[in-house]
Amino acid sequence: MTWKRVCKVTDVPENTLKKFTVDEVTLLIANYGGGFRAIPPLCPHMQEPLEESGVIANCALTCTKHLWSWDLSSLDMLGETERPLQSYEVKLENGDILALIDKELVYEFEDEDDIKDDDFFSKA
Amino acid sequence: MKITVETNSGVFDFECEATDKLLYAGLTRGLTLPYECATGTCGTCRGRIMQGSAHIDWDQAPGFAKLKRDKGDVLMCQARPSSDCLVRVPAKVVARSGCGTLPQHRTAHIDALRKLTRDVVHFELALSRPMSFEAGQFVVLEAPEVKGGRAYSMVNFGREVDRLVFVIKQKAGGAFSDWVFRNDIAGRTVDVFGPLGRATFHPEEGKNILCIAGGSGIAGMLSIIERAAKEDYFRDHTGHVFFGVRTLEDGFYLSELCDYAAQMEGRLKVTLALSHEQSPAAVHPEFPHIRLMDGLVADAAQQTMSGRYDNMVGFVAGPPIMVDGALRVLIREGRLHPQFVRYDKFS
Repeated sequence: MTWKRVCKVTDVPENTLKKFTVDEVTLLIANYGGGFRAIPPLCPHMQEPLEESGVIANCALTCTKHLWSWDLSSLDMLGETERPLQSYEVKLENGDILALIDKELVYEFEDEDDIKDDDFFSKA
Repeated sequence: MKITVETNSGVFDFECEATDKLLYAGLTRGLTLPYECATGTCGTCRGRIMQGSAHIDWDQAPGFAKLKRDKGDVLMCQARPSSDCLVRVPAKVVARSGCGTLPQHRTAHIDALRKLTRDVVHFELALSRPMSFEAGQFVVLEAPEVKGGRAYSMVNFGREVDRLVFVIKQKAGGAFSDWVFRNDIAGRTVDVFGPLGRATFHPEEGKNILCIAGGSGIAGMLSIIERAAKEDYFRDHTGHVFFGVRTLEDGFYLSELCDYAAQMEGRLKVTLALSHEQSPAAVHPEFPHIRLMDGLVADAAQQTMSGRYDNMVGFVAGPPIMVDGALRVLIREGRLHPQFVRYDKFS
């Protein structure tokens, strides 16, 4: 596991998301005002591209397609959201945003307790 | 047929006739199966048939786009069982008792038809059995002559009502709207499934109301405004209605909206946004309590509402692209909590 430089702090203005690819791993950097999160690019609900469908307001990331929402400071699920948001650990160094990327985080159906060996959510 | 659904919150059984759809049968039994449009376009009601088989009504439904059909994925709103089925549904589902408000099939006959504009018709259905529903809900209508169901919001609301009021906009290539517009359909029978939808108004929440509607999406908004007006809700709360149409000529229910705005003496503001025509004046030439704006309805709402989102609940209905734009405005600009943003997408 290594820390990888993703972008400059100034590349992602407050309350926005921006997509980056680091060593073939595509991720989004989200600036929620109180800090940054590095997350997979798709909504865990129905694979909407969060770079387009995601909106950050009041520290929460909301996918405007079906209004699933997460508190970016705690990563708590909000409202009727049914799946947690995955994220890479993030640190800031000399004005850069670094993410701890071991392997690409993808939403798989195996994460669900009740339904195993399924790839319902995986990318077509 | 016995249908077993495995969900993220437990396993449920219900019966489904070969003539019914998996989604509808489950909802009728009180299961909170996931859905939005209930008519094949959105893909929300996906399930995977693990055992058994089902007939798919609308094979080309856009909702199939992200599903893996080779693995047995189906849209439950399009699937009629041809045997007992075991279905996996990737969502939390609970069984609820409906107190008489669970969706059901009813028959109804078309009772009153009135053309509102060149491509909009007001029509009423007389129900075989009364239905109770909230302001903002919709039903799926299916006519024997037309393949597949279409979702329409009621303009009215109430307990045990025996009449549903709708507005239908003619769409190029829309089989149901063509049927309505081209045929003498008074007295014809249709199947009604509902009530459906959670974009409902609850006065006890005590929120100011913001409605953003495109085309026939105004139907649900009218029921919300009517309910609020009946309860004298605008004495203590404000209301804003943004109604998007292409041209001035395409506006409808303007007389009703204008009357409501006049009665509420400034507590309810109504704006008609024209996307394909420059507005001739700041207010509607015939309806002085309706303000006119140019452009997309979501943009009109954004411009007008800036800084006015305090204690607000937002309702959005219309074509998917309009709804997506309006939801972004409400979340990003309005900073509304998703709990207070309710929407219906019709295509």
